[in-house]
This record gives sequence, structure tokens and C-alpha cells, in this order.
Amino acid sequence: MSELRKLTFGYLGLLALLALTVASSFFDLGGFNVALNLAIAAVKAALIAMMFMHLTGTLPRLVVAAAGLWLVLLFGLTLIGR
Amino acid sequence: MSGTESVAFDTPQREQRADTLAMWVFIGSEAMLFGGIFLVFLIAHIDSGTAFAAASKHLSLPLGTFNTAVLITSSFTMALAHTLALQRRWRATVWALAATSLLGICFLVVKGIEYSREISEGLAPVLGLQFRYAGPDPKHAEFFFGLYFAMTSLHALHLIGGIIVIAGMIALWRTANPDNRLHRVEAIGLYWHFVDVVWVFMFPVLYLINR
Repeated sequence: MSELRKLTFGYLGLLALLALTVASSFFDLGGFNVALNLAIAAVKAALIAMMFMHLTGTLPRLVVAAAGLWLVLLFGLTLIGR
Repeated sequence: MSGTESVAFDTPQREQRADTLAMWVFIGSEAMLFGGIFLVFLIAHIDSGTAFAAASKHLSLPLGTFNTAVLITSSFTMALAHTLALQRRWRATVWALAATSLLGICFLVVKGIEYSREISEGLAPVLGLQFRYAGPDPKHAEFFFGLYFAMTSLHALHLIGGIIVIAGMIALWRTANPDNRLHRVEAIGLYWHFVDVVWVFMFPVLYLINR
């Protein structure tokens, strides 16, 4: 049943992060609102990937890293070109 | 009773590993699709930030927050289905899958309520509908709502696809042997969690612009 406990903790963590991101939107943090929201979203995505999707094993991680690299290129080159 | 679904694999374990890798490659390609539309949104947001922030305030934060919680819960029940399938508790697995698809339907219903509200307020520049907007910079606000409808409907289409696959899986449940069941649950689970991750990014990007 430790697996169930792990999933429950992951789930509660995700809900807490959702509450945090919504709460933060009621405070004006200057330019940091967007950065904070995106950072929280990234933590949530990592939680889902590790706890729910069991992102283990070399090959799946390589695929994720490759997708991440292409997204970095897509966003990076577009923003540099502006 | 065990076996592979495809003759290409000697053992269920090999089929399982190939399946998992293929799902991750598929998810990677899906990330490119959503990445492209997120990039368009980002550029437009940089160019007309104040118009986007004003337009974003017309979306329903309570409904969006509720829907995010619903989708996170559906991911939890999907992860539960996988854990139960690993323990070969099949009846409970089917219940968890059914709960997941019901939560998915709940998300779509709430999304539909949001859409109908926005359409009645004249905020939907889609399907030839008239766009009426009293706030500042209506031209860029219209672009915001165009992107909002494009992104959320693309996400909703993915959710509908997931619900159909879960329904098909439950329909074919009796004819599938334990190994088939396990790797089907794992494959649809990966897809479902990915669709959840997409929403996890879409929600702050669309609903929480400098509120």
C-alpha cells in the first residue's frame, strides 16, 4: 500500500500547488507573476511525470530530453530572432 | 493465461517496453504540436501584454480552477488504475478507469459552460460569430480569444480522444488477457497524464495573466 500512499501524496501536492498558483495571482508581484506561475507549472509537470507516469528508464528519459531540446530550440531561436 | 498482442514480440515484457517507448515518442511529437501554439501565444503576449491581461480577466477563474482540480483528480484515478492493474485487481482497475473518463466528461461539461458563457457575452471570434468587446484594444483582445478557443478546443479534442479510447478499452475488457490489459492501461495512462500536463501549463498561461 506504500504505492497508494505515494500517489496520494503526489495528488495532494498537485492540489496544493494549484492553490498556490491561484493565490499568487491575487498579488501583484510586478513581472514575477508569470515567472512564478510557469515555475509552479513546471514543478507540477515534473510531479506528474515522476509520480504518475513513472518516467524511469534510459530510453523514455532520452525521448523526453530530445523533445525538451527541440522545444528549447523552437522557443530560443524564435525569441533571439526578435 | 498470458500473451502478446502482436506477433512481433516473444514475450509480454518486451512488448511492454516497446509500447512504453513508443508512447513516449508519441508524447514527444504531441509536445511539438502544443509547443508551437504556446509559442504563438507567447509572442502575441509579449507584443500586446496589456490587451491580453485585460482580455484574460473576462475568463472565469473559478471555473478554470475547478476544471484544473478535476483534471488533476482524473490523473490521480488513472495512476490508481495502473497501480491496481499491476496488482491484477481487475474489477477495481475498471472502476478507476471509469472514474477517470467520468472526470474527463465533467471537465468537458464545465468547459462547455464556459464556452456558452463566452459566446453569449460576444467574446467568441470563432465560427463566424460576432465579436463584441467593450474593453481597450479590441483588435488584440480578439486575437487573445481566438488563441484561447484554438488552444482549449485542441486540448478538449485530445481529452475526447482519451475518453473514447478508455470507453473502447472497457468495452473490450473481457476479451483481453491480463498482459494485454496491463499494457493498455499503461499506454492510455501515459497519454492521459500528458493531456493533464498540457492543461497544467494552459491554465496559468490563459487564466492568470497579471490578474
